[in-house]
Amino acid sequence: MILDSISTGDIAALCRGSVFLATGGGGDPHVCQLLVERALTTRGPVALAAVETLPDDAWVIPIGEVGAPTVSLEQLPAGDEPVLALDRFERHTGRRASHLVSFEIGGANSVVPLLAASARGIPLVDGDGMGRALPEAQMMTFSIEGVAPTPAVAVDHLGNVVILETTDPVLYELQVRQLAVAMGGMIFTAEHAMTGREARRAIVPGTLSFAVALGRILLGGQGDAEQRLPELAAVFAGSQYGALRPLCTGKLSDLDRRTVGGFDVGELTIAPFDGSAAVTVALRNEYLLARRGEEVLASVPDLLTLLDLETAQPINAERLRYGQRVLLLGIGCPPHYRTAKALARVAPRCFGFDVDYTPLS
Amino acid sequence: MTLRIGIDVGGTHTDAVLVEGDNVLAAVKARTSVDVEAGVVAALEAVLAESPRPRRAVRAVMIGTTQFTNAVVARRDLAPTAIVRISLPAGRELPPTLDWPAELATALGGQVYMLPGGRRFDGRALAADDPAATARVIEAIAASGVGTVAVTSAFSALDPAPERAFAAELAARLPQVRVVMSHQLGGHGILERENAAALNAALLPLAERVIGAFERALADRGLACPLYVSQNDGTLMATGFARRFPALTFASGPTNSLRGASLLTGLAEAIVVDIGGTTADIGVLRQGFPRESGTGVLVGGVRTNFRMPDILALGLGGGSVVRAGGARLGPDSVGHALEVQALAFGGDTLTVTDIAIAEGQLDLGERARLADLDPAVVARAGATLHAMLAEAIDRMRTRRRALPVILVGGGASLVYQPLRGVEEVIRPPYAHVANALGAAHAEVSGEAERLARPGGLTRAAAIEEATRAAQAQALAAGAAASSLRTVDVAETQLAYLAEAAARIRVRVIGQLCLQ
Repeated sequence: MILDSISTGDIAALCRGSVFLATGGGGDPHVCQLLVERALTTRGPVALAAVETLPDDAWVIPIGEVGAPTVSLEQLPAGDEPVLALDRFERHTGRRASHLVSFEIGGANSVVPLLAASARGIPLVDGDGMGRALPEAQMMTFSIEGVAPTPAVAVDHLGNVVILETTDPVLYELQVRQLAVAMGGMIFTAEHAMTGREARRAIVPGTLSFAVALGRILLGGQGDAEQRLPELAAVFAGSQYGALRPLCTGKLSDLDRRTVGGFDVGELTIAPFDGSAAVTVALRNEYLLARRGEEVLASVPDLLTLLDLETAQPINAERLRYGQRVLLLGIGCPPHYRTAKALARVAPRCFGFDVDYTPLS
Repeated sequence: MTLRIGIDVGGTHTDAVLVEGDNVLAAVKARTSVDVEAGVVAALEAVLAESPRPRRAVRAVMIGTTQFTNAVVARRDLAPTAIVRISLPAGRELPPTLDWPAELATALGGQVYMLPGGRRFDGRALAADDPAATARVIEAIAASGVGTVAVTSAFSALDPAPERAFAAELAARLPQVRVVMSHQLGGHGILERENAAALNAALLPLAERVIGAFERALADRGLACPLYVSQNDGTLMATGFARRFPALTFASGPTNSLRGASLLTGLAEAIVVDIGGTTADIGVLRQGFPRESGTGVLVGGVRTNFRMPDILALGLGGGSVVRAGGARLGPDSVGHALEVQALAFGGDTLTVTDIAIAEGQLDLGERARLADLDPAVVARAGATLHAMLAEAIDRMRTRRRALPVILVGGGASLVYQPLRGVEEVIRPPYAHVANALGAAHAEVSGEAERLARPGGLTRAAAIEEATRAAQAQALAAGAAASSLRTVDVAETQLAYLAEAAARIRVRVIGQLCLQ
């Protein structure tokens, strides 16, 4: 169902749906969920604008957080960073935003721009820059579709403001990552501003409405993950993601994880209950590549999600434990990621895997 | 040899054991009384009556109690408490108790305050202090008349100075007010740590009463020995410490049962199944201690960061109701009313206990009352019972290697068939008082966290500092210095940061020093 606004009662579902679409990454949205619920309770619903209705001259600003989710568990957001980032972006560029949009529909960033949209009373676009979660700025569909990352504004909880000007997307990712460290481990940025004409091409459409619908199914239903599979498959079948395929059901029999270069990397092994050969899933913040022996079952940019078999809830990578009983799902990626220019940024080789992308059939 | 008494105060029973070294000299079960104290006195009297040695030979009494957990869950006996957070502007829109159940926040009185300050992840000041604002908060606390305060600052596990400075100013102005600093409870995650500190502060007056009552019970029975209280991680705290940190008892019940199972069998690696009237609590022993839950734990609806054992509570116990011709057991249970409602006791409800009696595995009630039971139902219920347990045990198994299963608790005798996938089932003697035994044999511990990062502490220095702090804590808790050993060095990398920052947590334990 397409929503035309989002209110307090939708946020829990939005957060749960976005943990599913985060494919293991994105961090715990609990703190941002509390902030957004409070804001919407006070100020009322935020209007949602469908991507295809954006006029050519709309001015759409993506807003989100960059940094270590671990830090924000201790140094909480003040709450007004997103709107401050927007204010300073507008002051720097001399142009008012008509709409805001999310970086990614995964974890905390799926709800962060709602704080600014609520404070300013402007609509949020029903869509995002990934249709899932991925670790780096140049992997956003905004960047892939040629939207320049800067001018960009980064702010911290103290109100420090940094303006960035660079046209190289990879360099921008490096700069903003370093900036996050210098500014206390977590910053909020406004970046990749685009016109309505650009936005209609560069935004993955409908993902907010979709995450809410998905979240309601996850929160509301009954039965274990296998019993609920038809319900989940139906909601994806009617969407741009298309196929949702169970890849294996089994028990986490091994978990090898370490932190390299600021990323959580590793591999988990699932021993299937039917006695078939073990399935491995490679991890780099998100679940990226599922293999049985040499055979690739599914890979990035398609989505890999692990559900707790008993509760049918998605499991974040930091919550993985030996012995969990899981259902591994492969889900098709949005069409935005199936183009050659997109795959040059997000195919398995971009993450160091020596395999090509084979779309989930 | 010195004698010890272990007491476990549960919801239904208060158990006590008298031990000398590894030998159990006496074990008793008493009913838990409404005021708890009377039940403890009864158990103490009963176990002392069976003692072959004089009372003065008892050198320590250890008590595990669920009273503090129950106080939070039932929202009673909680003191009005001011909650102060030092982290502004961070968290400005997320005031303390925002996500608490409303009636629990109300029970604490709604006194919440936020001040600028605290630290960043790299130890720098998060914001400048505001002495005038601090003074205003202290005056507001004075005016409110609360007797307890919890104070939390950002990254206080890394640098507790802001919490200490506030506590010192508060003490100077209001010396009678008791203050809990969140770094004393430890852990990463400011909301969870703040919640833990607030609940702990609100329990301080109750702790004073309960522990005072335990001490009087001992003194009245002519026991001059020290009293210890069990905490979440299976180790003990002296009463002076327990008076300050009652929240550390929240999960001591399941932990004591796991520790007791380890002591009764001598096994350090095993799965423990504690079967009661309503649930079977399944946990895993690693190096003789409970494996801990990796996720935050809700206490009375509040997120906390207490280290709690990872327990799978299966809704299957002696009082579980049998349905669908034996295909479905529980999760509802006749609970305390087993001896009234179960078929074998003349009631009209078919329970799991009746099945075990019908199979001749239990000698309880009157087996003759079960003569009309369909043998097919009995057989199917037996099969369901063992299949449910086998599956739950398998869920808790972490690696592929086989682990023995230890059965403890009052319902241990309900298991009478092999469990699929389990090679070895152990039923130790005294399994029914495993909790009290776990309490009686507990050791003491200390734990500390430090952050290692370039330009700050090196990894080796962080481990060394954390170890020293953990050892000091264990010594303060009564450990013998020669017995201290490091049992865990956990390292958590802070993801997404370009520089390699890591949080290092060290835990040491040692034997209780008994003169």
